[in-house]
Amino acid sequence: MYAVDSPPQPKPTTRARRRNRSDARVPWLLSLPTLLILAALLAYPLYRMIVLSFQNMRLRELITGLTPPWVGFEQYTKALGDGVFWGVVARTAAFTVVSVTISVLLGLSIALLMRRVHPRVRIFMMVAMMFVWALPQLVAAQAFRWLTDSDFGVLNYLIDKIPGVDFANHSWFVNPWEGWAVITTLVVWAGIPFLAISLSAGLTQVPKELLEAATVDGASSWQALRNITLPILKPLLTIVTTLSVIWNFGLFTQNWALRDGHPEPVYQTLSTFSYTQAFGQSRYSYGSAIAVITVLLMFGVMVFYIRQMFKIGEVD
Amino acid sequence: MARHDEGVVTVGRSRTGTFFANTTGIVFGLLMLFPVYWVLNTAFKPDNEVRSFTPTFLPQNPTLDNFKSALGEELFIPAMINGLIITAMAVAAALVVGFLAALAIARFSFYGRKAIILVVLAVQLVPFLALLIPLFLMMQRAQLTDSLIGVALVYLVLLLPYTVWTLRGFISGIPRELDEAAMIDGCSRFQVFWRIILPLTGPGLVATSIYGFIQAWNEFIIINTLNSPEKQNLMAWLLYNQTERGTAWGPLMAGAIITSLPVVIFFLLIQRNIATGLTAGAVKG
Amino acid sequence: MKRKIAVAAALAASLFGVAACGGNSSDEGATSANAKVDGTGKTLKVWLMVDAETAWKGVVEDATKRFTEATGAQVKVEYQQWANHLTKLDATLAGSDVPDVVELGNTEFSKYVFNGGFAELNKGDFENSDTWLSGLSGACELDGKTYCVPYYAGARVLIYRTDLFQKAGLTEAPKTYADFLSAADKLQTGNAADKKFSAVYMPGQYWYAAMSWVKSKGGEIAKKDGDKWVGQLSSPQSQEGLQAWVDMVKKYSKADVTKNENEQAGIFSQGSAGMFYGNAWEQGVAEEVRKDPNDPNSELVPTKVKGKLKAAPMPEVPSFLGGSNLGVTQKSQNKELAAQWIKAFTDSKSMEGLIKANALPNSTALLDKAAENPAIAPAALAAKASWFPPNAEKWADVEKGNVLQTMLTDILTGKKSVADGAKWADEQMNSTLNEA
Repeated sequence: MYAVDSPPQPKPTTRARRRNRSDARVPWLLSLPTLLILAALLAYPLYRMIVLSFQNMRLRELITGLTPPWVGFEQYTKALGDGVFWGVVARTAAFTVVSVTISVLLGLSIALLMRRVHPRVRIFMMVAMMFVWALPQLVAAQAFRWLTDSDFGVLNYLIDKIPGVDFANHSWFVNPWEGWAVITTLVVWAGIPFLAISLSAGLTQVPKELLEAATVDGASSWQALRNITLPILKPLLTIVTTLSVIWNFGLFTQNWALRDGHPEPVYQTLSTFSYTQAFGQSRYSYGSAIAVITVLLMFGVMVFYIRQMFKIGEVD
Repeated sequence: MARHDEGVVTVGRSRTGTFFANTTGIVFGLLMLFPVYWVLNTAFKPDNEVRSFTPTFLPQNPTLDNFKSALGEELFIPAMINGLIITAMAVAAALVVGFLAALAIARFSFYGRKAIILVVLAVQLVPFLALLIPLFLMMQRAQLTDSLIGVALVYLVLLLPYTVWTLRGFISGIPRELDEAAMIDGCSRFQVFWRIILPLTGPGLVATSIYGFIQAWNEFIIINTLNSPEKQNLMAWLLYNQTERGTAWGPLMAGAIITSLPVVIFFLLIQRNIATGLTAGAVKG
Repeated sequence: MKRKIAVAAALAASLFGVAACGGNSSDEGATSANAKVDGTGKTLKVWLMVDAETAWKGVVEDATKRFTEATGAQVKVEYQQWANHLTKLDATLAGSDVPDVVELGNTEFSKYVFNGGFAELNKGDFENSDTWLSGLSGACELDGKTYCVPYYAGARVLIYRTDLFQKAGLTEAPKTYADFLSAADKLQTGNAADKKFSAVYMPGQYWYAAMSWVKSKGGEIAKKDGDKWVGQLSSPQSQEGLQAWVDMVKKYSKADVTKNENEQAGIFSQGSAGMFYGNAWEQGVAEEVRKDPNDPNSELVPTKVKGKLKAAPMPEVPSFLGGSNLGVTQKSQNKELAAQWIKAFTDSKSMEGLIKANALPNSTALLDKAAENPAIAPAALAAKASWFPPNAEKWADVEKGNVLQTMLTDILTGKKSVADGAKWADEQMNSTLNEA
């Protein structure tokens, strides 16, 4: 019923096309509720956020209702001239690249693996992934906080059992590399089910005959993967990768919960940074400016995604 | 939903290879499950075993006290009910509203269609937390703070773009020839919609609702800002119900299990649609 | 249906930016807590922190009862969690439907007083106002006016294991700082077999403790120079204090340097530590836990250290005076009623209730009474020699910005020297505290 590699759509017949043209109001009426809701509950706050970023709203203006002073691009120049901000941007970007790469590669490997294992093993893998997937983000983050707790965590206990290794009371968040390894593990662990299950569904679209033929022709399994499977999987891979990028770039819950609601500077990402600036430090305008920059950065990265999606949307 | 044979591709695979694959698969599953197991293990332990420098791998004196404690907390059950109501409202509304828009994008060519597609795609990139203050002010003026409907409305916006986009994929998957044939047979446009498109999109609606369900069920910051303690959902309860004695891990983990249950149940109910839903909606071109 | 229309209209109104923000009433003088107000049919909304619910709900109920009898007004108390209460307060104060009475930590209050969040009160209306603990009331004062009322306090003390002290040949609590260090030494040697043992359990981000050590050497966190705040951690005295704390922590503590003090009592109760520095009530937390942590009335279960703990003032180290104040919000529609409720909730009768619940009262005059309760006697003593953070408008932002916590972790892990860490923290404070 669906195909990863979509056949070109037949052109609508002239008759249908004329019909579509004739009542142009119908599609607008259909879209109206969506557009209204987005306008009322998204466009307006968004507009306020942009306005806010050109003002200087602090606690006084917030609670007294005074109009905040206009400051032009000051918030933006402040952010763009701040080494701390760029550190946060770089950290968020690096985390996104690393975590998405690992997640997608692992997800793909698991999906491929699921084609080779005994059906019972496959069911076991599916069930395991379903459980992980069903675990709410916050619960998963709390679970990892508990596993890596320096005093009561089972991870330290297990590692400490290895002869010659002293991990009693080891704190995983002293060294930012270790801390980020924990966060990345959590994100990858929680992200694999979506990736592996989607990709394995995509793999069922790869014609078996083609693979068999290739094997008969003497292609190695690596060659078969590279020349047959991956090209067919490409559109799906693009989408799951970009979705992962969007999600991981917006990392908030995981580092927030693992650092107990007050991430240190080295554990700040764009989302937590904007949030702490706005709500922790009452720099609502600065927080808004950072959020606007975040959106722009996202757009920059996602132009590709949007174009891809747009093409898909256009074809129908 | 044509489910292709997912049989093992055995051609040219050695026995040792298969053995290796199976072992890896089992190890992978176990690793994935370890944190889940540890959550369960903790939830059934009494406090003195939970907070112990030498953790045990099975509860020595298994107890249901942690579950009783979580369930007995006066705001837990209300939070659970609130969460279910809000999620149900948001997901249902997103499906209805989103379906109409998806229909427009998928089945009509009209002036402004591109713009609508662009809007739907772009809003997914907006970080919602940044909108918290304007959102709060607006909801307060509309007298929608401290109400379940207010939160459901916000969540609706959160879910809508993805819902529209995914459903669009499902609808385009239905051959246009079916519509046309039906119209030639004298069906009105509405009848086409009612008799053909809607039933065929059924599985898609279910699949789309998964994402919505997870999103709405997992949110905690917006609801926590908008609502008083009596009107929170389970996730907010989970984050903020820490006693003054630090984290009570046992009840927290028990609460976490109860919190996850609705999602697990939901997954089990619709598991057939999960894989197909995720890919079909996003990929179908 | 009508409601729907109203909602739609309101949404539309906000769409077009009709900014009808709440009344920013100009200076209307202090709100009296003694006026005769008929509150019949009115309901006050009161935000208290969760401590009141778990530890002295009876006091809240009693004060409310007396208040209702006097005025006829009802009271709805909402208990807030420390973790997120400020974000929620900010959002709520931005609107018009605000709580009438709000509790905030004493270090959090200045920010809201400076920014017009609270109504001016008539200090003399409140009992014991001439003997209020200055560590609490300092945050309430601005330009000679009073904007909040001290509620309760807490002071930090040394809590130690009597059994381990005995085994180490120590018979009494340390009297001097040198005693304290030698006690730590003895405990350390005596329990060397336990590799998790900390002679002094001191988590690395426990900045209230670290700053107490700074104060002990005559150092300061920040002080006002003209109209500018200047970070003082780099001063020789402050650095000496920081160094003393760091040396002590490095030598005697195995606690996580990235944790704060929130869970210290629970960790201490595992039995692998000899002493810790905490609020007086934390002794109870270490000795007994609630069978059901979510039910403040459930039975108490003894821990491994039950009956083995004692508290004493930390020798030569002045205590941070923590605590809470209560204020009437500027946007409240029932200011006089709200002031009257605060009056009832902070009078001597309520304070007696707090003392029974092991909290320190809001006035020096009542501290002696508190010293009669053995559970908080050491804390009452410690409160007499106490300090509080700079009374600066933006101090709460320094706390929220994790400036001191980050500095401490960086110093303890060796990422920064004491001098570098102090310099960095001073820079952070200078920019935050003086930000326009």
